[in-house]
Amino acid sequence: MQCFLCVFILQVTYKWLSYTLGVHVNQAKQMLYDYVERKRKESSGAQLHVTYLVAGNLVQNGYICHKVAVVREDKLEAMKSKLATIASVHVYSIQKALLKDSGPLYNTDYDIIKTNLQNCSKFSAIHCAAAVPRTLAEVSQAHTSAQIDSQTPNDMQVSTASSKPPAKGNTMSNFFGKAAMNKLKASSESEQAKEEREVTKPSVPAAEPKLLPTTTVEKPGKKTEPVKIQKKDRKSRAKRVDLSDNEEEKEAENLKKKRRRIKQPQSDSSDNEADGPASSISQEDRAPTPSPEPPPKAGLEPASTEVKASTGGKKRKRRRVLKSKTSLDDEGCMVTEKVFESESCTDSEEEFTKAKPASLHRQSTAPVKKDPKEDRRGPKKGAATASKANKQVSIMGFFQKK
Amino acid sequence: MFSEQAAPTAQGLLAPPSAEPSTFARAPVSTYTDCTEPFRLGQRSFSRQYAHIYATRLIQMRPLLEERAQHKWGSGIAMRKLCELQAGEKCCVVGTLFKSMQLQPSILREISEEHNLLPQPPRTKYIHQSDELILEDELQRIKLEGTIDVQKLVTGTILAIYGSEKDNGKFLVEDHCFADLPRQLPMRGPSTNHFVLLVSGLGLGSGSGESLLSMQLLVDVVTGQLGAEGEQSSAAQITRVILAGNLLSQSTQSRDTINKAKYLTKKTQAASVEAVKMLDEILLQLCTSVPVDVMPGEFDPTNYTLPQQPLHRCMLPLASTYSTLQLVTNPYQAEIDGVRFLGTSGQNISDIFKYSSMDDYMEILEWTLCVGHISPTAPDTLGCFPFYKSDPFIFTDCPHVYFCGNAPLFSSKLLKGRDGQQVLLVTVPDFSATQTACLINLCDLSCQPVSFSGFSADEDEGDMEIGH
Repeated sequence: MQCFLCVFILQVTYKWLSYTLGVHVNQAKQMLYDYVERKRKESSGAQLHVTYLVAGNLVQNGYICHKVAVVREDKLEAMKSKLATIASVHVYSIQKALLKDSGPLYNTDYDIIKTNLQNCSKFSAIHCAAAVPRTLAEVSQAHTSAQIDSQTPNDMQVSTASSKPPAKGNTMSNFFGKAAMNKLKASSESEQAKEEREVTKPSVPAAEPKLLPTTTVEKPGKKTEPVKIQKKDRKSRAKRVDLSDNEEEKEAENLKKKRRRIKQPQSDSSDNEADGPASSISQEDRAPTPSPEPPPKAGLEPASTEVKASTGGKKRKRRRVLKSKTSLDDEGCMVTEKVFESESCTDSEEEFTKAKPASLHRQSTAPVKKDPKEDRRGPKKGAATASKANKQVSIMGFFQKK
Repeated sequence: MFSEQAAPTAQGLLAPPSAEPSTFARAPVSTYTDCTEPFRLGQRSFSRQYAHIYATRLIQMRPLLEERAQHKWGSGIAMRKLCELQAGEKCCVVGTLFKSMQLQPSILREISEEHNLLPQPPRTKYIHQSDELILEDELQRIKLEGTIDVQKLVTGTILAIYGSEKDNGKFLVEDHCFADLPRQLPMRGPSTNHFVLLVSGLGLGSGSGESLLSMQLLVDVVTGQLGAEGEQSSAAQITRVILAGNLLSQSTQSRDTINKAKYLTKKTQAASVEAVKMLDEILLQLCTSVPVDVMPGEFDPTNYTLPQQPLHRCMLPLASTYSTLQLVTNPYQAEIDGVRFLGTSGQNISDIFKYSSMDDYMEILEWTLCVGHISPTAPDTLGCFPFYKSDPFIFTDCPHVYFCGNAPLFSSKLLKGRDGQQVLLVTVPDFSATQTACLINLCDLSCQPVSFSGFSADEDEGDMEIGH
């Protein structure tokens, strides 16, 4: 006890003592009292200030009120005389300095309770048989529907991540004829602006990410048809180099930020049919899911419709806004990127998407290595990219800009 | 109650440590029935008009009022509808009251351009000398005058009036009566002392720490940490704690995001987030020791219209793992140990306070019981869900304990009804202002206030003045 007071200059409350020593609260109170008595008898130099808890009956406003008060030692007798019947008196706390105000007492108690939240009734004098924490099984049973909703978006995420490599490594795009490409070009240009890669975090703590997957998956649900065309178009447009570059940078990005693309669910429907073997191409698959074969489309569709239904209730609207992000990369270069950021109307930045043009204009400035971000030489290119991002990029641009 | 039991061992802890500290088992609740079913809304559709709720209210209460009227004025009196009135004939009419008030805030007037009015500043009372009472039934309405207290009554009350129609088209009232207390089921209370603690208006998140120590003292008394052995054993007899609303303070409701520019409020958290975390910790401490019923109030994160739905358990992750935590509606109805409780978080009473000349919360509480309706001013001036099948706020049977939260002062009264009903009326004071809670003894329906206090620097002079 003595060492406590020496070390902790401020104060010792009965509750603090009880938790720290692991004793019953009543014993702690008695210990405090005992300490005070002994110290006072010794009459050593250090003066102790004590606060007491007094409880009893008091007549107030015509009612017999049961009053519980923490009082300083000098006011103890006055309070006791005010009470008609005294129910209890005990030591509340001991401190070295005189307390002007009972605020610090609350703070001490609050801190000790905070560190012992899980067993806050362990040392109290009353035990309640009914207060049993529900097991996880019971809790989850009570909320199965909520869990089902969260399961499907997680499945979606898994499937999208795994299907991402096959999409990127696809060489089938080169086999499309020009005529077909022209047809696709028209639709692709319209899709160009809307195209987005949505990135979500794989580690999913409870409630928050439920929203993310639902919104991201909502888009694939809506755009299954045009996206199919879009995906093929992307494959056709992108050169092999670019594709691999994209893949690298995406994966590098993944490494850095641990995010997964959910773009893939849109292409999943087409990829699954055509790109089985293509999945083996990607070596540097750093997505958490090891299986190259994406889960069946069937799993996707019901999930997306179910999620669509559930997102019907979601009130957040998402807008895509072109924003410029400036950051410092490894080499100390300032990097400015123009990205399409998807944000809700209340401006919460939960996801961001990389615009396709941003990645396309990476050029050959940086070697194809695992760069955390794209490098751009100065803002000029960024500006050029920005302006390009707003315009619809012609497909043929790729074939000219060797 | 507490003190007498505890007095013998009051100074017991002013002693060296004893070997075996005693532990008391919490008195178990023998029966608990949750009767909030009528207040729980499943599918909510707001596409209906509010006229239906008045219609169903009148239909449900008409038979009751006709019986009362015949009881009071003799069974031979003529019961008339407004359309059947004849001038000069003494008869009795049952209908809904409407008070047309000049000062009543009207949204239409506010937004009307031709009047060019600024919005009215909020007042404590909206009554005025020129207010008029009008009685409406299913088809017609008629103005009332005579021996009827215009200032006291509020819109939405169903009553029976006795008098006659005058030539000027107004009804001259000679007498009136209300539905009065409904029948009461006999109380099968516990045989030993069992207590229920009622607290309201914790007001967390207010930024001022004055009542925090008092709140901690309250939790400690209930969980048995505070007090000498006698008091702890008395506290073990508290079988339930009911938190009657306003767990969060009004200051957590500031809606900066609407008033301020977005760049200022972009990354700020709502004030209620911290407050709810604090609430969760307090509830966890209570739940490990005693069953708790949490009712939402005016400033709590739930819907605004009555009946307020329970707080969602996802907001209280720590406490909701315990089955002793019950999140309930406002108004709340339950049978605890054979004693029927019914109460609200106070919005109904404070709304009547604004539109009536009655000043005392206890008086208003008693009046709502006599009128037979928990909140007659809903939906006129108090937000309410558009019911159409039945009005759940009508008293179907008389409770044994009827309380309202967030009153300015504590008061309790044992009301005796005409047919032998006995109701304990309690106005639970706002804890953040008064640091007082209410302890109800289920055995004999008595109520005692419990107040907590710390000490502060400026208390030195104050102590001397609170004389004997």
